[in-house]
Amino acid sequence: MSDVSLRGVRKSYGSLEVVHGVDLDIKSGEFVVFVGPSGCGKSTLLRMIAGLEPITGGDISIGGKVVNDVPSPQRGIAMVFQSYALYPHMSVYENMAFGLKLAKTPKTEVDQRVREAARILQIEDYLERMPKALSGGQRQRVAIGRAIVRNPKVFLFDEPLSNLDASLRAQTRVEIAKLHDTLDATMIYVTHDQVEAMTLADRIVVLNAGRIEQVGSPLELYRNPVNTFVAGFIASQRMNFLPVSPSSDGLLLPGNRLLTLSHAKRENVRTLGVRPEHLHLADPEAAHFSGSLSVIEQFGEYALAYVELPSGDLVTIKLDGAPDLQLHQTIHIGLPAEGVHLFDEAGRALR
Amino acid sequence: MKNQANPWLTSNLFLLGLGLLPAAILIGALLYFTAWAFAFSFTDLALVGRKSVEWNWVGLQNFERLFTRRGFLESLWTTVIFVFFSAIVGQSVLGFLLAAVLRGSQSTIRSVVEVCIMLGWLLPDIVAAFLWSATTSQTGLINQLIVVPLGFPPINFINEYALPIVTIANIWKGTAWSYLLFSAALDSVSREVVEAAKVDGATPFQRIWLVQLPIIRPHIATNMLFITIWTFTYFPLIFAMTGGGPGRQTEVLAVFLYNQSFSRGNLGFGSAISVAMLVIVGLLSLVYLRMLREPK
Repeated sequence: MSDVSLRGVRKSYGSLEVVHGVDLDIKSGEFVVFVGPSGCGKSTLLRMIAGLEPITGGDISIGGKVVNDVPSPQRGIAMVFQSYALYPHMSVYENMAFGLKLAKTPKTEVDQRVREAARILQIEDYLERMPKALSGGQRQRVAIGRAIVRNPKVFLFDEPLSNLDASLRAQTRVEIAKLHDTLDATMIYVTHDQVEAMTLADRIVVLNAGRIEQVGSPLELYRNPVNTFVAGFIASQRMNFLPVSPSSDGLLLPGNRLLTLSHAKRENVRTLGVRPEHLHLADPEAAHFSGSLSVIEQFGEYALAYVELPSGDLVTIKLDGAPDLQLHQTIHIGLPAEGVHLFDEAGRALR
Repeated sequence: MKNQANPWLTSNLFLLGLGLLPAAILIGALLYFTAWAFAFSFTDLALVGRKSVEWNWVGLQNFERLFTRRGFLESLWTTVIFVFFSAIVGQSVLGFLLAAVLRGSQSTIRSVVEVCIMLGWLLPDIVAAFLWSATTSQTGLINQLIVVPLGFPPINFINEYALPIVTIANIWKGTAWSYLLFSAALDSVSREVVEAAKVDGATPFQRIWLVQLPIIRPHIATNMLFITIWTFTYFPLIFAMTGGGPGRQTEVLAVFLYNQSFSRGNLGFGSAISVAMLVIVGLLSLVYLRMLREPK
C-alpha cells in the first residue's frame, strides 16, 4: 500500500497563499508528474509530501495514514534533488549508506542493499570515489541510488534532470522510466519540462498559480485540454490561439474567412486553438487564412513556419520534411475539421 | 624570455629596475625590522644607559636566558592557556554555535545578537579594557548589582581571577570574527544537502556534526590559523586591563616582551623573545596548513 492522497492541501507564507487547496489521489505504483511554469507551486507541493515544508491546511496521507505531523524519515519516502545534494565529504558508498547507518541497520544488510542499488544503476565501479570526481550523470545516479537503498514506498523527484545536458537528459529519462518498471514503486516527479511530463507520466497533473488545472494521462491532456492554459502548456510546439467570432453557420476567422462548423455552443466561442502539427498548406481558394512567412526553422525531419496574418496574429505551422519556402512569401493555410479546439471567453474548452 | 606584447620593456633594463623599485622598497622595509630584531637578539643592547650605545655581541646568551631564567617559560604557559581558552575554545566554539543556532532563528533575534557581538569587536581595545576593569573591580558593576545585594562581601574579580577575566574579555571581544566567518561558511553549504540529510533521518545535531561541520572543515582550519596567530601575539586588551599582573598571572608573551624591552630596557633580550615567538607561531601555522589539505 503506497498510494498518496492529498485533501484540500494549502500552503501560505504569512498572508500569501501559494497553494490553494489541492485534492489529488495517486494510486500505488503510479508515475505521476507535476508540471507547470515556475512559481506554480509544484515544488512546494512535493516538499510538503516529503515533509520538508509544513502544510498550512488539509491532509496528506501516504499508504492510508495521515502524515501531516510525521517527520520526513518516517514517511517512507525518498527524495532526489535537483542539485543531486550528495554529501561532498563522503564517498559514493558512504553517501548511499548514510541513511541506513543513521537508522542503525546491521552492517551486512547496509552493504547488501548498497551493492544491490549500485548494481541496478550500474555504478558499482565508482563506489569508492568522491562525488566531485563524478560527472553530472553519474552524480544523478548516485542520488537515485541513495533513494533506492532506503527502499521507500514513494519516490519523490524534484526536477532531477534540469542540471544535465540535453542528450544525457534524454538518456536518463529513459532510465528513470525503466527504473519505475523495475521497482514498481509510486513515483511523483516535478518538472517544468512538458517533454519529460509527456514521456514519463502515467498521469500528468498540470498546475498553475497554486491550483490544479487538469489531471489526466498524457494523451488525454493532448487531445482534450480543458482550458487554454493546459492547451498551451502541453505538447512540444505551443498551440496556436486565434480570436474568432461566431456567425450563423460557423466561425469568422481573422481575415474574415468562414470556418463552417455546427457546434451546439457556437455562440460562446471566442478563441480557436489548433496545434501546429494539425495545420496544413492549402490552395489559395481553399485556404482558411493566408499570411506572410516571417521566420522558418528547419529541423531536417520537419520545419516550423511562423506566418504573420494581416490581422497581426502569428500562426505556427509544422511541416514535414524540409519544405522549400522563401521568407516573406505568401503562405496559404488550411484548417482541419478535427483537431480544432474551441474556447469560450474565460478560456474554458467547449466540447 | 621576451615579453612579446612589450618588447621595449624587457629590452630596457633601466626601466625594468625602476618598475621593480617600489616593490623592492616595500619588501626591504618589511625585512629590515625582522632582520633588525633577529640581529639584535644576539646582542646586549639596552634601551638607555651605556649599553644603548656600546653594545656587544653576546652570541646565544639571550636565548639561553629564555630557558634558564624565570619568565619566558611561565609566560609561554600563560599564553598557551590564554590562546586555548579564549581563542580556540571560546571564540571558535562559541562563534560556531552562535552561527549554527542563529541560522534557523528569526531575522529579528538574529539581528539583535549580531549587533551585540559586533559591538564587542568594533569597540577600541582601550575602551573595552576600561569597561571590563570598571565592571569587574571591587567597586564595579557586578559587585554593585549582584554580589553586594545578595549579602556577600564584594570580590575584586580583576585581582583574584585575573586570567579568567581577561580570557572572558577576549572571548567577548573576538567572537564576532569567528561568528561571521562560520556564518558565511555555513551559508555555502547547499540547503538541499542539509535537506537530504533530514530525509535520510539525521537529527539536528547529526546534521551539524556529520554533514555541515565536515563540509566546512577547511574554513574551520583557516579560522583557527588566523585567531591563533592573532591571540598569540595579542597585547593591548591584556596590558590595559592588568599590565600583566597581579604578579605575573596574566603576563602573556606579548606583555612579557614589552616589559623586558621597555620597562627593564633589555632590548637585546626582548629581541630574542620576539624571535622565539616568531618561531612558535610559524610552527603552529604549519600544523594548521596541514589541516587545510584535502583528505585522501
